[in-house]
Amino acid sequence: MNRTRSDNLLRTARFVAVLLLFAIPVVYLGIQRNYGVLQFAQLALDGLRGGAIYALIAMGFVMVFNVTGIINFAQGAFVMLGGMLTVTFYQMESSLPDRLHLIASAVLAVIITTLIGILIERLTIYPARKSSTLTLIIITVGVYIAMQGLGLLVWGAKAYVFPAFTTLAMTDHVFRWFGLVIKAQSFWIWGSMILVLVLLAYFFERTLLGKAMRACSVNRHGARLVGIGAERMSLLAFGMAAAVGAIGGIVVSPILRPSYDMGLSLGLKGFVAAILGGLVSTPGAVLGGLLLGFLENVAAGVTKAGMKDIYAFILLILTLLFRPQGLLGVGKTAVESSSEDQG
Amino acid sequence: MYRKLNTVFVFVTILAVLLAACGGAPQATTVAPPEQAETTAPEETEPVVLEPTDTQAPEPTEAPTEVATEAVDAQGGETYKIGFAPAITGPGSSLGAPEHATGQLIAEQLNEQGGIVGPDDVRHPVEIVIYDTETNPDVAVSVVRRMIEEDNVQVVVAGTTTGISMAIVPIVTEAEVPYISMASSAAIVMDPDTGETRTWAFKTAQDNFASAQWQAQYLTDLGLTQVCHLSENSGYGADTLAQAENAFGEAGIEIVYSDSFEREGTEFPQVINVQTSGCQAVVVGAIPPASSNISIALRDALPDIPIVHGHGTCNQEHIDLMGEAVAEGMVSPCGKVMVSETLPDDDPQKDVLLQYVADYTEFTGEPVNTFGGHGWDALMLAVNALGSLTGDLSLDEQRAAVRDYLENEVTDWPGISGVYNLSPDDHFSLGFDSLTFVKVEGGKWVFYPPDQWE
Repeated sequence: MNRTRSDNLLRTARFVAVLLLFAIPVVYLGIQRNYGVLQFAQLALDGLRGGAIYALIAMGFVMVFNVTGIINFAQGAFVMLGGMLTVTFYQMESSLPDRLHLIASAVLAVIITTLIGILIERLTIYPARKSSTLTLIIITVGVYIAMQGLGLLVWGAKAYVFPAFTTLAMTDHVFRWFGLVIKAQSFWIWGSMILVLVLLAYFFERTLLGKAMRACSVNRHGARLVGIGAERMSLLAFGMAAAVGAIGGIVVSPILRPSYDMGLSLGLKGFVAAILGGLVSTPGAVLGGLLLGFLENVAAGVTKAGMKDIYAFILLILTLLFRPQGLLGVGKTAVESSSEDQG
Repeated sequence: MYRKLNTVFVFVTILAVLLAACGGAPQATTVAPPEQAETTAPEETEPVVLEPTDTQAPEPTEAPTEVATEAVDAQGGETYKIGFAPAITGPGSSLGAPEHATGQLIAEQLNEQGGIVGPDDVRHPVEIVIYDTETNPDVAVSVVRRMIEEDNVQVVVAGTTTGISMAIVPIVTEAEVPYISMASSAAIVMDPDTGETRTWAFKTAQDNFASAQWQAQYLTDLGLTQVCHLSENSGYGADTLAQAENAFGEAGIEIVYSDSFEREGTEFPQVINVQTSGCQAVVVGAIPPASSNISIALRDALPDIPIVHGHGTCNQEHIDLMGEAVAEGMVSPCGKVMVSETLPDDDPQKDVLLQYVADYTEFTGEPVNTFGGHGWDALMLAVNALGSLTGDLSLDEQRAAVRDYLENEVTDWPGISGVYNLSPDDHFSLGFDSLTFVKVEGGKWVFYPPDQWE
């Protein structure tokens, strides 16, 4: 009893120390640059918007990892497909009013991306399902590269324009509250992240299929013993990851100019977010994404903004070295238990 | 414990591989370009050898018409080859695509003419061998090597962006092949450390210094002395900052905050620094789509601050990607091709500009931009140089002769980017005068000369 208490105390102290280690230089450097509360708030807000996108992508990583034990680097391709397919459908002639046309395009893009995700699982992962985790991961890298090449063939190299959801025009509505600048699109991004999180929570907690998927992630062999088809679950996981990735790609497109290669950097950031969250839990992925977006934006804001991406990957390395179980994880790391499973 | 470390290393290695690709450009088709080029280049560029009867075809300007029509060798002379590698895909593609289109246009025109007639009165077909650098230095180096060693080209025209061109320079220098770049940095043709002209390298896009001089003049005219500089994280972006520091310093303009940004960025913390640094205008050194993305972020936070771009934005894509409303009023130094109709009649470039604008818009169906012009200049310089070759030269001698022609024989030659006067000391020769100033009005670039500045 006594021991647990001192353990907890130690953990809290360490947490506060890490927090201060980050916060003190940030505040100091910020003040050097004449930052006030407003500037810090703006940096944090922007960071949380980027973080919400990373969170959406990270959820896809977690879903596939949970069920199959592999890191699906093709997740970035789903993001690209979501954005690019929606643009393509939206550019087509239609008698629908603009808003309905956009919604129809987005829904169609999500459905097609889901089907592509399922197809990818069947054509590349399923035939190699007896191989080691590493082989499967390398297959997903190959799939990403192939999908990007396909994207280049279909859409060419140019960047496309995506209308903002609120105004349906290129110029988004911008809220200016108390000196803060918030694009209307930010609310769409945050909203879709929360919606996906809630839907997934419901799916995993309340539906039989979701519970079966969870069983698969807890113990694949055990799940098989009680009659859950691991292959079907793997198929489902890829389909759902593709859908979530596509949603991420669609909501981010208005603030980015979507192009065939947009999946690479977003996919990698989503991967970092998933690792931060421990790779096994959906809420962890969301927390990881938001934290990543927040930290990289604040750190970049007070130092050299061009170094934003570097901070994200420094964070990845630090996490893997000092807290490989992620922020929420306890005990054994997900990565470890997965390789034990295979062995 | 060991297993854990192992797994960590696997992830970090995979990440490193992906990042390496991320740094340069998409690696989607790293292996593909040779194959791709093999299948596409011949059909795009296959020279049509002129039938001896077809003497009605317009003759190239290099040789007197009467001589050419009579003396053309029925067999046709040796085929000359130009290796042409713009950035057709990747981050530089908004610049490379019009260069590519211009290359196809010139190839078509050369086909119609049946090639060029040299001083030996022999008609030589010209083949433009097209590759894609993918805006990736590794790919660029490998396709240039391929051109030199396997295609045996006489001259290399490649490099849409500064970074790519700088990767190609050592290859052509070592192989002793004349090279014409379509990118901007002065370092392509002159070693910045020693100040020596690079023997084999030429270029056709204006220096960023000339661009920065225009920006400085504009800012001075507006009475602005404290500016921010944001540059894309690329060779071009870094050079715009270096040249702005030079040119702005001379004009007494202080850069109070400078930073770089990523093309794929979704958030730009740079904008907050621009706000707190209290600068009066923002100078951006980027090409579309990066230039458009940062402009939108700046306009959201600072609706009134003047935004000045560099000459990397002189195309319609720059405006289209940010939308008319955001682009309105943004200014940029650009080549004269953007405003060729408004030039005075005695401008030495006017004829060639109008002809190019007509040809380009007919060929592509798109509005003209300066980058296709850089491609036109580079390719036409190469074609002219090939037209000067006499017979019975080995490939190495031909390459040396092309280089000598470019260095010594190009005098008062009106191109699209300006009037060239190349010399051993200057492998580019265009300066401040070759640029003009333009502004976005109603979603289009319009002429914005100094007397209209306010």
